[in-house]
Amino acid sequence: MAFVLTFLIRRLAQGVVIVLLVTFLIFTLLRVIPGDPVRIMLGPATTQAVVEARAQELGLRDSIPEQFVRYIAKAVQGDFGESYFIGETGIALTAQNVVGGKGQDTATEQREAKMTRAGVLKVIADGLPYTLMLAGMGLLFTLLMAVPLGIAAGLNQEKWQDRLAFFIGSVFISLPNFWLALVLILLITARAGLLPSIGYKGFGYVILPAIVLAVELAPIIIRGLSMSIAQALQAGYVSGGIVRGLPWRQIIVRHVLRNSSIPMLNLFGVQIGGLLLGGVFVTEFVFDYPGVGRSTVQAVLQRDFPVIQGVAILAASILVLANIMVDLASTFIDRRLKF
Amino acid sequence: MTKTTRRNFLKGTAAAGTIAAFGGQAPFFKKALGQGKKSVVWGQTEPFTSSWDPSSHTILAQIYFDYDVFGQLIRTPMSQAQPDEIVYEMATSQNVVEDGWLEYTLRKDIKFHRGQPFTAHDVKATFEYASNPERPSGTWYPGQAEVQVVDDYTCRVRGEGGSYPGSLFWFLAGFLPILSKDDIETKAIDEFPNGSGSYKFISRDGPTTILNANPDYILGTPEIEEVVYQFVPDASTRLVSLISGELDIIERVEPEQYETLLEEDVTTSRTVSTENKYLHFRCYEPPFDDVRLRHAAAHAIDRDLILELMGPAGHPTVGQLSSAKFGYTDTIPNSPEYNPERCQELLAEAGYPGGDGLPPIEYLTSQGFYPKTKEYGEVITALLQEQGFPVEFTVMEVASWIERVFVRDETAPQLADTGWMTGSPEPNLVLRPMWHSDGLILTNCGSDTVDAAIEKQQTITDVDARRASIQNELMPALADHLPSFGLFTSVLIHAHHPAIEGIYFLPNGPVDKVKATLTS
Repeated sequence: MAFVLTFLIRRLAQGVVIVLLVTFLIFTLLRVIPGDPVRIMLGPATTQAVVEARAQELGLRDSIPEQFVRYIAKAVQGDFGESYFIGETGIALTAQNVVGGKGQDTATEQREAKMTRAGVLKVIADGLPYTLMLAGMGLLFTLLMAVPLGIAAGLNQEKWQDRLAFFIGSVFISLPNFWLALVLILLITARAGLLPSIGYKGFGYVILPAIVLAVELAPIIIRGLSMSIAQALQAGYVSGGIVRGLPWRQIIVRHVLRNSSIPMLNLFGVQIGGLLLGGVFVTEFVFDYPGVGRSTVQAVLQRDFPVIQGVAILAASILVLANIMVDLASTFIDRRLKF
Repeated sequence: MTKTTRRNFLKGTAAAGTIAAFGGQAPFFKKALGQGKKSVVWGQTEPFTSSWDPSSHTILAQIYFDYDVFGQLIRTPMSQAQPDEIVYEMATSQNVVEDGWLEYTLRKDIKFHRGQPFTAHDVKATFEYASNPERPSGTWYPGQAEVQVVDDYTCRVRGEGGSYPGSLFWFLAGFLPILSKDDIETKAIDEFPNGSGSYKFISRDGPTTILNANPDYILGTPEIEEVVYQFVPDASTRLVSLISGELDIIERVEPEQYETLLEEDVTTSRTVSTENKYLHFRCYEPPFDDVRLRHAAAHAIDRDLILELMGPAGHPTVGQLSSAKFGYTDTIPNSPEYNPERCQELLAEAGYPGGDGLPPIEYLTSQGFYPKTKEYGEVITALLQEQGFPVEFTVMEVASWIERVFVRDETAPQLADTGWMTGSPEPNLVLRPMWHSDGLILTNCGSDTVDAAIEKQQTITDVDARRASIQNELMPALADHLPSFGLFTSVLIHAHHPAIEGIYFLPNGPVDKVKATLTS
């Protein structure tokens, strides 16, 4: 228990530094690369004087360190700013009594949607459940495809199972995700009318984007799993188990798969985390899926600095936490490992 | 391994039959049309801003929304047959009166969506607010306006202190959403779009904005009961969404997509827009500070080649104005045409025979906003290089390009192409910001002759005399000075569900749905 606590404190402290560095990097890059959010916000026809006045108002003409200190000071209090572009509509209900004919009173409700600039946390919170659902379904489809293929390939090196897994992995990894997404939309949604795919109006809208994600992720799992199983099969404990007369099934399930899972966990933490985040962004954009990814791509195109910064902090935090959890889980699986 | 038995086969066919019973779709498949209500879903290409105030932006997507929600004194349909047609909406007449005033008589039976009655005080508040040069929308108008309220339903407008004649609003009032005076004073317009147009704002939820038909709309209640603005940023996604029926109307269809759509069960539409595409010359330094070099470059460009490349998205132009604009003419005798020999003569006259000695020239364009900019940019680059112009071609993504294209110092590229889409036949919306010395937002090639010609037509209150001044004096002056070279007029390509009929696409992008119907 003491080890877990020390481990968590040490790794979380390192994580905070990493997240801060990433935030500073993103913050600076956004302000150095070309693209003025104020010009995009007000439209191309707006005069330069009006653009400058609004930029001053938003503090965008102060020095970068000055802007960063101001941002961090607010961020630590949970205020990540407001999107430059996304409006937040709160529904205000007002009751109005309308006197009808013959002295009869009729009560009507007048709904009025009042708009303000949406807070970054709200933008993220609105999109996150959708993104998590998509990522979860994507991972599920990935595992359903990759685990049987990867295990079969690992256990049957140089045989047809291995060649089939290699072939499928090669085809999948060669398919650009945006292209596959459009082809699936055209064939499955537009032509066959079997599954919906644009936007989100129900669970059915997750299936095609999740398949695209799975196709992107599966080759890595297939390859990683087959390699680690093949390596594990060469280990001394396998021949030892055979000599001791352990059933083959028991050797595979209890020893080979257990030992193969450590590199797989690391793969999940580092590669899959990164790929999943990147893949989700592109997939959400093409499918017009209302998650954090779509908002982020749009924010990048529009230079919506507060949203990009907020998402960068979130993404960095997720990756840091995922790595900490993977390392912790690895030490539970194999007590000899120290991180 | 499951065997293919008769039982399995029957199970499979039963499943297929179930799918067929849902019209070939899964049960959770929701089409845009046909959900009970007469509703259409518009595939929006840009998001709205975070303010509903029409004077807070110059964003095209929100201009479309403003067109639906806010009433205007007049509407200007800008058809090719009659570009200067005026349809009266909140006003019943406009007349030039003494001292440069333009007098409006207003309708007495109009209410804003929130119920306030419309009066001349709202017109005064709107004109004076929206034309303020410190507002983003100020850029559309000729300067601070002044409005005199004669009575509740009569008012007069002109430039503040008589700085310009009210007749400049003759067409421009058709590009000025009328707001309630109270909303301007209390800033409530930021939070709620309280207009008096054909549709009322209902809600905005992320990328989805819903409008309902206004039963009290002065020009008649629209038959389409609900309009949904659905922001779908990717062009390919919009296209397949239309084919699959998840969107009902899409805009900015790209030329290749247009060809694809001709084979689908959708209706396509081409509208010659108010937007000309220009090649702008920057005149901070050689070579384009010399008018002969600007003409030489123009003579090097074969516009027919560009039009061929643009296909259905391009329409020929001669001068600086689109044919949807008041004052357009296709007869400008001194407008440069493709003529390589003349190009070489001018290069030699300017001291650069065959292009020898010319400094490197950067040509900047964007990718992802206008159709085919990169492709026709490559053609222009090749044509200029063929004549000896040492052109380097730079393509930038939209956000970076927007920042760089407006740079006005010596780091600006010597050549840049842009369009300029405006929502009124009023030519000053293009002429003043582009080529008058007070504007010059993209060229910096000012000229006293051009300034004088622009100012002269502004002071002419007679419509026909003003048209003649633009066609016979201003256009030739611009063709001589050539701060920018008109490449072609953009054609807006829309596609929509065949059940939608009677829809009118305006040449600046909005869609008039008031007379639209939905057939079964």
